Amino acid sequence: MRKTLLLIGIALLSSTLLAQQDWIRTGTGLGVEKIRLAVPEFKAASTDPQTGALLKTFNAVLWNDLESAGIFEMVSKSFYPLQVPGAPNDFKPEAWGNPPPDAAMVAFGNLAVGNGRLAVQGWLFDAKNPQAAQVLGKQYNEAATDDNARVIAHRFANEIIFRLGGGIMGITESKIFFVSARSGNKEIWSMDYDGANQKQVTNLRSISLSPRISPDSSRIAFSSFAQGGPNIAMWSLELNRAVTFPRFGGTNLSPAWSADGTKLAFSSSRNGDPEIYISDANGSNLRRMTSYRGPDVSPVWNPKTGAQLAWVSGRSGLPQIWVADADGANPTRLTDQGYAVSPAWSPNGQFLAFAWIRKYGPGAPGASDIYIMDVASRQWVQLTHDGGRNDFPSWSPDGRHIVFQSTRSGSEQVWTMLADGSQQKQVTTSGRNSQPNWSWK
Amino acid sequence: MAANADIFEYKEPWGGPFGLSVALHVALFGGMLLYGALHGTGESWGGTGGGGGDAMSARLVSTIPLPAKQGENVLATESKGLTQSKPKEVIEEAEAIPIPDKATKKKQKETPAAKEKPREVAEAVDNEIPFGEGGPVSGPYGVFNTAGAKGGFGFTGGGGDFGSRYSWYVDTVRRKVSENWLKYEIDPGISSAQRVYIYFEIARNGQPKSIRVEQSSGIPSLDQSAMRALQRIDTFGPLPNDYNGSNVAVEFWFDYKR
Repeated sequence: MRKTLLLIGIALLSSTLLAQQDWIRTGTGLGVEKIRLAVPEFKAASTDPQTGALLKTFNAVLWNDLESAGIFEMVSKSFYPLQVPGAPNDFKPEAWGNPPPDAAMVAFGNLAVGNGRLAVQGWLFDAKNPQAAQVLGKQYNEAATDDNARVIAHRFANEIIFRLGGGIMGITESKIFFVSARSGNKEIWSMDYDGANQKQVTNLRSISLSPRISPDSSRIAFSSFAQGGPNIAMWSLELNRAVTFPRFGGTNLSPAWSADGTKLAFSSSRNGDPEIYISDANGSNLRRMTSYRGPDVSPVWNPKTGAQLAWVSGRSGLPQIWVADADGANPTRLTDQGYAVSPAWSPNGQFLAFAWIRKYGPGAPGASDIYIMDVASRQWVQLTHDGGRNDFPSWSPDGRHIVFQSTRSGSEQVWTMLADGSQQKQVTTSGRNSQPNWSWK
Repeated sequence: MAANADIFEYKEPWGGPFGLSVALHVALFGGMLLYGALHGTGESWGGTGGGGGDAMSARLVSTIPLPAKQGENVLATESKGLTQSKPKEVIEEAEAIPIPDKATKKKQKETPAAKEKPREVAEAVDNEIPFGEGGPVSGPYGVFNTAGAKGGFGFTGGGGDFGSRYSWYVDTVRRKVSENWLKYEIDPGISSAQRVYIYFEIARNGQPKSIRVEQSSGIPSLDQSAMRALQRIDTFGPLPNDYNGSNVAVEFWFDYKR
């Protein structure tokens, strides 16, 4: 269904935009051609009663990680040979490299539990190159817990993605921070990229919004209504408490970290009109970046260069996405119509993701959807089409995924998708969850 | 006041020389006209024996003493344009000879003999089955296809067996380059072009370096888009752990057809 919608969407675009579909996919590191990867279930190498449960967790997580990576075409298990390898000696390249499985790569191994320890051996073999088949061989040894089975699966998946994905680390160990009201107040929560391990981070019994994790994953900057405000607040994940951050007066919203972690950009109405301000990471050295009539909010740095910011400006009427140098020079408007908010810059600096109501106004049944735009060429692609209000996109560290908030399931929830719009998945279900932010690594 | 008087006096002297100059010029042009009237046969400029046209073609040829070079540079065989038969005419024209020498010398320097391998590669490539369509990378070389464009490459490092030992890495390089080649950067007026060759090295940590155009397609925007494809890549991922070399040299070619 989504594909047909995509096709219809594409058909409506001009011929120059037709070419764009091709490169948008590639530019985000999502190759048109994906590697056919077979992942037979790991074999049990012990008789410990824990083995079965841990093996089940491990196999499920590994499969899901690799399927979500965006660079593999997973070979369906129904095509696999009956003899599944658990060690390199059992591996028969001809059985895997030829149809029906026709796999390019095979990941296999075994898992053993003994003396409270969980030992996993995993290999990645090139099924099309029998002479030099082994690409990867790894061993893991951790305490035998379900969590560790997940962790080991994540790490092994990451190794495979790193090798075959051209040196870009997978996101299996990354975190997503978001706002959840499930405890009664809007607090900052965290979770694994796949929705597992959801944990409450802040406990301020107030309203906390727009969490932004620092590049080194040590602090979270957010907007807090705890002491009037809203003010920019800072939460230390190492100390597990709020640390001091100056209060500037007025309404202070949507902080954004520079990629080197030394600066924060945010919007403040301390002088009346909401404008973009930039300060050092501790709040000192405040300076104003924009000075136009009309609100300027939601700044975000170009993480590749650190020399540009994108933000939302209402200077021309409805909010639009603008880009300028970090000192405010050369402001340029990127969107030409409708209502565009929530910019998020891709890790490689090439794309901006944002929420856009292209047809806005009376009689225009515009929906808020996620789009990405190539900053250099201004060509854009619509990623969501499935209804509901979609907003607050945030890029994964590998630039292949986007997390966002959507109401399509009835209430505000956090969803993830590949950066070409495929594989959309709901990752939260409990309470209302919004404003997700993906960690930097 | 005295100064003013000086200036006026100073101006007067050049009236004489000016008159002389005019007279000389008149005499010169007059002489030329006279010569033309006496010796002119009425031929138009460049009219002798259609020599103008020949001269033009001769010049073009002189810049393409490439045929000799092609013997050594494997790459050159791929491009049809360079093997045009025109060059021979050049030899007949004495004036054009000196320039060709210069050009050939330079080219010989630029192309090390080691690059002969890629030639075979490129030819073989056309018959290979692209990745994902069922065929293995059978040698150190590969191809990729994207809508309307095609690329391929040869690895010339690591004792020659890098491509066969680490075909998965070669695939990664191929995929990554093709993903980063943004065809909208190419002049939309171009419908097809000669092959452009890019040379680069991959360091141990996977970073591409020493990126350069080895042989231009003659279309700057195509050359640049190919260069940018590589400049856009931060890393291909570290070279395989058990690979001993410090880097791998890669020669990548791009074919473009809209």
